[in-house]
Amino acid sequence: MADAQLNATLAASAFQKQWFADLRRRVFDDRQPYALLQADVPFELFDLVDIPAVSNQWWAAIVAAKRQAPKFLDAMDADGLHGDLCRYCSLGYASTRYAGAGDPPWGGLPTPRLLCARLTCDCIHRVFELWADTFGAELFEIDHPGAGDLPPRWWELGRHHWRELVEPHRLAFVVSTLERLVERLEAISGRALDRDALRERLELVNQQEEVFDAVRRLIAAAPQCPVRMTEQITNVMATQWVRGSEWALAHARAFHDEVKQRVDEGVAACPGERARLMWIGVGLWHDTGFYTAFEQSHRAVFVWSMYLAFGPDGYIRYGLDDPMAALASRTASFNEYLHNPPWAAEWIVHQAREHRIDGALVLRPRSMKPAATGRLFIERALEDAGIPVLPIEAGVVDAREWDADGARADVRSFLETRVLQ
Amino acid sequence: MRVQEPCVVASWPSVPVEIVRAAGFRPVIVRGASGPTPAADVHLEPGIFPSRIRQLVENALTGRLADAARIVIPRTSDADYKCYLYLREFARRGVTTALGPVVLFDLLQSRGSDVPAYDVARTRALLDELSSAAGRMPAADDLRTEITRANTARAAVRRLVALRRVVPRVAGTEAFPLLAAFWEMEPDRYAKMASDAATKIAARPPLAGPRVLLTGAPVDGQTLHEAIESHGAVVVDEVGPWGSGAAGNDVRIDDDPVAALADKYRADAIGARTPVDSLRRLTGSLLDEVDAVVVSLPPDDAVFGWDYPGLRDVLQARGIPHVCLRGDPHEEPTAADHAALGAMVSAASRLQEARHG
Repeated sequence: MADAQLNATLAASAFQKQWFADLRRRVFDDRQPYALLQADVPFELFDLVDIPAVSNQWWAAIVAAKRQAPKFLDAMDADGLHGDLCRYCSLGYASTRYAGAGDPPWGGLPTPRLLCARLTCDCIHRVFELWADTFGAELFEIDHPGAGDLPPRWWELGRHHWRELVEPHRLAFVVSTLERLVERLEAISGRALDRDALRERLELVNQQEEVFDAVRRLIAAAPQCPVRMTEQITNVMATQWVRGSEWALAHARAFHDEVKQRVDEGVAACPGERARLMWIGVGLWHDTGFYTAFEQSHRAVFVWSMYLAFGPDGYIRYGLDDPMAALASRTASFNEYLHNPPWAAEWIVHQAREHRIDGALVLRPRSMKPAATGRLFIERALEDAGIPVLPIEAGVVDAREWDADGARADVRSFLETRVLQ
Repeated sequence: MRVQEPCVVASWPSVPVEIVRAAGFRPVIVRGASGPTPAADVHLEPGIFPSRIRQLVENALTGRLADAARIVIPRTSDADYKCYLYLREFARRGVTTALGPVVLFDLLQSRGSDVPAYDVARTRALLDELSSAAGRMPAADDLRTEITRANTARAAVRRLVALRRVVPRVAGTEAFPLLAAFWEMEPDRYAKMASDAATKIAARPPLAGPRVLLTGAPVDGQTLHEAIESHGAVVVDEVGPWGSGAAGNDVRIDDDPVAALADKYRADAIGARTPVDSLRRLTGSLLDEVDAVVVSLPPDDAVFGWDYPGLRDVLQARGIPHVCLRGDPHEEPTAADHAALGAMVSAASRLQEARHG
């Protein structure tokens, strides 16, 4: 039984903590600029001009995992921000705006030189503007043109035919916006973006995601799941924010090798595995124990989440003669693929079949409206494909109304009545 | 609602009606209502989509939009964009076969220097699409004619709006439908109707009672106006496209009418993606002429609630009473909401009396 964590998982956790400590030192001691970004912003551009970048979603997950979220969320409520406003993308803002209400992890976020967000959801502009105001920092917006062509099997086009995936006018618009962003970053850092270095970085990103693709295939094909979903997420997310760096590629390979070793040795995350589950939606960051809670009792193991699976299908771009266009093609429709029709349901059913999934738990996120759309299409498509679905209603960073015992009871009942028959 | 040709249905008044008319169609813009939406409820997640989107999808799934020449969904909000994706998915999966062609009008509103050119191109694409539906491409002069007619109607809107502000002579409950009709009524008829109404209203005595601004998520009906005015106040303005914001500025008439329309709608369209500083400026400019403010933040709101603490602080600093309502604006407010409205109107009345001795 794989009770011990992978060495790679321990290394990933240690890397993140050290990386953040280094960031604070660079910002406070060396007075270097850094940036706060939405997760779907192309981090590569920042790193290549030596501006380190922190992901808003990563920071929110850390705040939640450190059990600090309720204090900041209470402060938002007390200030009159109603409970239907998105709490996931705004928890980082709250940890700055209401810093005195809680204890921000690792000393809290220093003041960034720049904030940058893609305007996917309507609320992001608001949240990032308030956050920028609170810091007294600059905000750069990447607008989000809507898709008119909707190829359902998007993952079949992304690698080699990415120019067909995004309409030319949208691609040109995103390229133009990224070029403006580069101008701004160059002005801040005093360094010019080396286009050859961008191409090389994207090639390394491809290599990193190819490694994750291999891990995904190992997990899908192994008789029993070799590595828990929570460990998959830790290893993937630690590399995602520094993707294409030497460390990220080396770490991805180390992770792959350990998973392969487990497969070769027949090690299972949950020996005697009886049910393979998939988690659809953002991670339940305040209660990650939920994902291992059914191993002992039902031999049910979470095999799949979008975090490992999306990298290979969402990031790999071959044909890098115009690296900015390749980067733009990845950026243009990033979120829609994960949540909305026709893309999300098609992809998730495909992934469920590849991973021999027995049951799917679909997050119904509270206070997170944009990520909640498309959910009914996904649930229906999975059921139509013969995969039982259990919706789980929860706030992903808000534990205040989370009924941990009730949710676990619901899953046990689901396993017994619909999955393990 | 049963739409028959030649109509173009839109989900929000950020689609240039001048283009719709120049192509030979009548614009029909879906608005929220209090009725049930059982067909839409099967597919739309609860608590996310505003009433107008639920009504549109209900109409789409029950065949009532089958005869629409085009259903145009502007990129005015996330809910509109998702509505577009859902409607396309219904067609792809055969959930309904009785649905007119669905078109995305991808008008962006952010401040980027690349946005205006993008919007002009998308507005041109809309013109091409509607021309294709009509079987004829309008000439530039056809567009200029429609712009001129709509500008005339806008002038009539502004005349009505002037009779609401400072010294109001018309209740919001009466003015709102007069203003909202701008979007769908044939412009010449609208201009005459609104001008006649303005002439009659101008002869009326001023209305007493505190003057109220209705802001927050833009309302597309007058249920809240009725509730507020039942307490003796007068709704004199709304931040949104259906009431006093219907006209905005005129569309310029120049060599490129498509570019003029793209610029106008990008700058003036009020919705969830309107830049927050624009809305803040607009709201701030209206506060000098009101005695109280009602902020509507319905359960589907994911946007305007972020502006509330800042607005509240401004209102408190200026001593302007306000109420924040969280209900569906198409439903009668609760007893608690009415009590809060009553208290707000009383406080505003006292301040009004104190100011006027």
